[in-house]
Amino acid sequence: MSLLSAIFLLPLLAALVVLCIPRNYKFVIRLVTLGATFASMLLALALFAKYNAAPVENGFKFVERHAWVSVSALKLDIGWHLGVDGINLGLIVMGAIVAFAAACVSREIKRLEKEYYTLLLVMTGGILGAFASLNLFFFYFFHELALVPTFIMIGVWGHGENRNYATFKITIYLSLGALIALAGLVALYLQSGANTFDIVELTQAVKARPLPLAAQSLIFPLLLFGFGILVSLWPFHTWAPLGYGAAPTATAMLHAGVLKKFGLYGLLRVGIPLMPDGAAAWLEILAFLCLGNIVYCGLVAMRQKDLNLLIGNSSVAHMGFIFLGIASLNIVGVTGAVVVMVAHGFLAALTFGLSGALREKTGTLEMEKLGGLLRQIPFLGAAVVMAMLAGCGLPGFANFVGEAMVLFGSWRVFPLVTTLATWGALIIGAIYMLRAVRKILHGPEKPEWAALKDASAWAKVPFVLLLAALLLLGVWPRLLTDKIQPSVAAILTMANTRAADKAPRAGEVKKAAGEAKQRAVQPR
Amino acid sequence: MEPTLSPTGYAALTILLLPLAAAVVALVCPCPDPERTANRSIGAIAIGFILSLGLFFFASDKAQEINFNWLAVGDLKVSFGLLLDPLSKLMLLVVTGVGLMIHIYSRGYLHGDRSYRRYFASLSLFTFSMLGIVLANNLFMMFVFWELVGVSSYLLIGFWFEKNSAADAAKKAFLTNRVGDFGFILGIILTWAALGSVNFTELASAVELGGRLADKSAGFSVLAEPLGKIFQSTSWWLVHPNVLVTLVGLLLFMGAMGKSAQFPLHVWLPDAMEGPTPVSALIHAATMVAAGVFMLCRIFFLLDIPGSHALEFIAWIGGVTALLAALMALQQNDIKRILAYSTLSQLGYMVMAVGLHAPGPAMFHLTTHAAFKALLFLGAGSVIYACHHEQNIWKMGGLRDAMPRTWWTFLWGTLALCGMWPFAGFFSKDAILAAALEHKNIPLFVLGVFVAGLTTFYMSRLVLVAFCGNARSEEASHAHESPGVMTWPLVVLAVPTLLAGAMGIDAFIAKALPSEHPPHNEGFLDNLFAPFNHNILAAGFGLLAVVAGYQLARALYVNADRDRLPEKIGVLAKMARDRFYFDELYEWFISVTQETLARVADWVDRWIIAGLLVRGTHGTTELFGRALRLVQTGSLQTYAFLFAAGVVLVLAWQLLGNSPTH
Repeated sequence: MSLLSAIFLLPLLAALVVLCIPRNYKFVIRLVTLGATFASMLLALALFAKYNAAPVENGFKFVERHAWVSVSALKLDIGWHLGVDGINLGLIVMGAIVAFAAACVSREIKRLEKEYYTLLLVMTGGILGAFASLNLFFFYFFHELALVPTFIMIGVWGHGENRNYATFKITIYLSLGALIALAGLVALYLQSGANTFDIVELTQAVKARPLPLAAQSLIFPLLLFGFGILVSLWPFHTWAPLGYGAAPTATAMLHAGVLKKFGLYGLLRVGIPLMPDGAAAWLEILAFLCLGNIVYCGLVAMRQKDLNLLIGNSSVAHMGFIFLGIASLNIVGVTGAVVVMVAHGFLAALTFGLSGALREKTGTLEMEKLGGLLRQIPFLGAAVVMAMLAGCGLPGFANFVGEAMVLFGSWRVFPLVTTLATWGALIIGAIYMLRAVRKILHGPEKPEWAALKDASAWAKVPFVLLLAALLLLGVWPRLLTDKIQPSVAAILTMANTRAADKAPRAGEVKKAAGEAKQRAVQPR
Repeated sequence: MEPTLSPTGYAALTILLLPLAAAVVALVCPCPDPERTANRSIGAIAIGFILSLGLFFFASDKAQEINFNWLAVGDLKVSFGLLLDPLSKLMLLVVTGVGLMIHIYSRGYLHGDRSYRRYFASLSLFTFSMLGIVLANNLFMMFVFWELVGVSSYLLIGFWFEKNSAADAAKKAFLTNRVGDFGFILGIILTWAALGSVNFTELASAVELGGRLADKSAGFSVLAEPLGKIFQSTSWWLVHPNVLVTLVGLLLFMGAMGKSAQFPLHVWLPDAMEGPTPVSALIHAATMVAAGVFMLCRIFFLLDIPGSHALEFIAWIGGVTALLAALMALQQNDIKRILAYSTLSQLGYMVMAVGLHAPGPAMFHLTTHAAFKALLFLGAGSVIYACHHEQNIWKMGGLRDAMPRTWWTFLWGTLALCGMWPFAGFFSKDAILAAALEHKNIPLFVLGVFVAGLTTFYMSRLVLVAFCGNARSEEASHAHESPGVMTWPLVVLAVPTLLAGAMGIDAFIAKALPSEHPPHNEGFLDNLFAPFNHNILAAGFGLLAVVAGYQLARALYVNADRDRLPEKIGVLAKMARDRFYFDELYEWFISVTQETLARVADWVDRWIIAGLLVRGTHGTTELFGRALRLVQTGSLQTYAFLFAAGVVLVLAWQLLGNSPTH
């Protein structure tokens, strides 16, 4: 077992172990889960530390490859192929950290623990496996492996009276999205003529012989909307706030933080590079749909009375920046999009984790009922304030770097969308985030919350971890961007090679008077 | 690209990072003794002040840059960079010097507050952010610290967050600033898109290069295409380089509008006094509001590109702010509120000066104002402390004898603010009025003189009512002098209040900023009379306004027991007291625009997208399912019938459709 496969096989093995533990050994079950996710997190961090930006063939490192199923009669060839480049590296590390944090906050679960922790571990393994796989079959398989536990967890351990409807809705939506994406992937397999599910081989095949235009313009929208539904692209977003509102804390953290990024990752890994001409027609539309996420869902978030619905809507709004960055198709924008993917994973996990802790303590998330909590629960309160500020793009947190890069990158391509997105980022976001702080934490102390206790030392661990990650990447963004940039550049080279190569896209910068300026001042 | 640091570089880095370290230590290390937190914060800024003094006097005037590669993706290259030039060195001195006094004062003022630690942590964070703006060598870094200043002010204005008014004021300050930041970041993006860099030095040489190549727009015409896309047209007025340059200038100015509280984004500043008084002093004097003016001076070369009309707009915004704020100050009764409006008004002067192509005088006024406004706010704090948190000047009176040290220093501060010779404020205000005359901008000159008169009027009102006459309340009659930790900073600040005008600060600034008649430092005594030699008209009118304002105030307020001004000016007094209804207007505007949009979006989301479409699809599917269920009756006859019918249909289609009759 190599380092990379250990990261996601460890949780899956732990799931098997948990299955064998008698159900009243709750402490042991929890310990195994925590241990497995912690070990997986350490391995992921080791992977991150070992990864260097030196160029390699195909761009992937830590490659692991085995033949698996090969039926020549059916022209079927499915192989086990893992690898990381700058794009999924951050996602894997983020996913592993979030998974550990999610295991930490799972203390709120008080019934059917054995089943719960099994599903949690399966979900974790699935998510990380999906990001590590370079074969479309396993890529998709691991995603489904993570998706199905999501539904069950919301249905069984969820909160609120809307739980059943939410489960029903999220299941229908996400299954539909996954199905459409599957149709797209199968069509891609058939059309490429390379008889392989291997992403690297597919990429090489397409490089040698681009897909026919007609096929591209049919398959790309399938992937765009299939993946789009999974990422709550407007107007297919209504499952998200409802589903996250009802989900158990850990599920919301893992899904909103990590699993949701699968669609974006797929779009970036498969959709854009393999079907540049198909994408060209849709990116402009995608940019306008982003506004639905950023502005419209931001406005909806302003009207929410329930904290979880507010966070859910804001999480949908943040997806807009990633889509916008991808749509801009230039190095600054797409790199920014990947940074936001990682940053938002930490942030979503942090906010849902905090709201879960608040619900556990107060029994409600209705903001009108809360108030003046900062005095009683200074740690949780301060963490909420920091999370909210990170959410409205405060420098110092990783989200700012990513969002700023997206806006810088997309301006020349979609100036109007960028202007409105800036409004959404700076003002609408700040309005609902600060309103939440004002309602929940500020204001006179209320007698009913006088006896509230702050989080215990152990309960602080996940939040400190997530905040530290956000701060570290916010202060030192090159940790990520230096690794992301070469991989994004490779994708962009493919994406900007069109069958009918038209006018150069805005990615190429006008350097009219630029050259002289660049050298005008060299740092001393 | 990692630089080797020179001693000055180390000094600058230390100045910047020490307050951050103090803040982090205060937050992370639980220390039982809150006093130690205070001492650490004070120590950090004190060392910063000493180092700033060293840099100011001993470092060479040549601009020095330090760059750490912070982010480099594609053509977006951002360094964590420091720029040390006369401008930033002066500003360092102002921020650390005034900040130090405020830190020391806070130690007494906040004594015994249960959140002492949080207070000093936020104060240090505030100082760090402001120093970051001062030292930043590129627009991106400036924006980063710009936002951090915004958030530190949010934390400090909302320090007493249990008070609804404080929590609301904090939110309002942050959001209003964000509106300005929206323009600022767009301006930065546009500048970067046009000139290919965010570094000040590189931008300056790009602009200069453009000027030499007779490319007036200095590359800004690149922006024509995207802008045309926004407006769906390429009319000449959109793509004309002058329009583009002006647009970028105005967008960047929006940032200053927010931070320096210029009309129409001025509404947050008066509310910001909900924070503790030393915080008001810090916001009003050394940090935050100064950031906007400093930024304008830093990017002056971008505003001053030939063909840009941004400066004219900026001048008038400044003038209007100065006038409106002075009028609003006339009828305020809260001692801090009067000072808050006076800050607005003085900031208006500074912004006006930038608009009048005179960034030097703007920086000069910023410097002197920092000293005397900090003095005035801390003096007001001392008064409030002595009167048991009474802030209404009509419930004070007679404090002159009870608190002599506060009284004398406050009087000096007032004289400086009014612009009385030989106090510092006179010199800097005179430089601004002279700039208006030099640019033949008579309307703004008249406005400036009029506002100077108003300033003297309302400040004399404040002093006459609060300090002179008889005590009008129980608290005022029992007032006594504040402790030394609070009064000594007043005394220290009184020194620059008196002397800063003639020390040659303007000549020092002229090294960094262009001006047509650079002032010379000819020794203290000569400087003292230089304004009269330089432009007797400006100096004369300025002093005349002071005298007139004082005479009017004396007639109305000596030994007055109530405000007689409303009887004289009628409805204007009420409007001034109600701040010309800007808050109400904005509230109404936001509720009809953004809130309505939000309501509509929420409704659509709930009922159309989630309701009609999703539930509709769900309903249709279910209906379809039910219809199909009808078919599955379980009765064999029905199946047989359907089967037969199907066979007939398929046969018919096959035979008729494919028949070779055509």
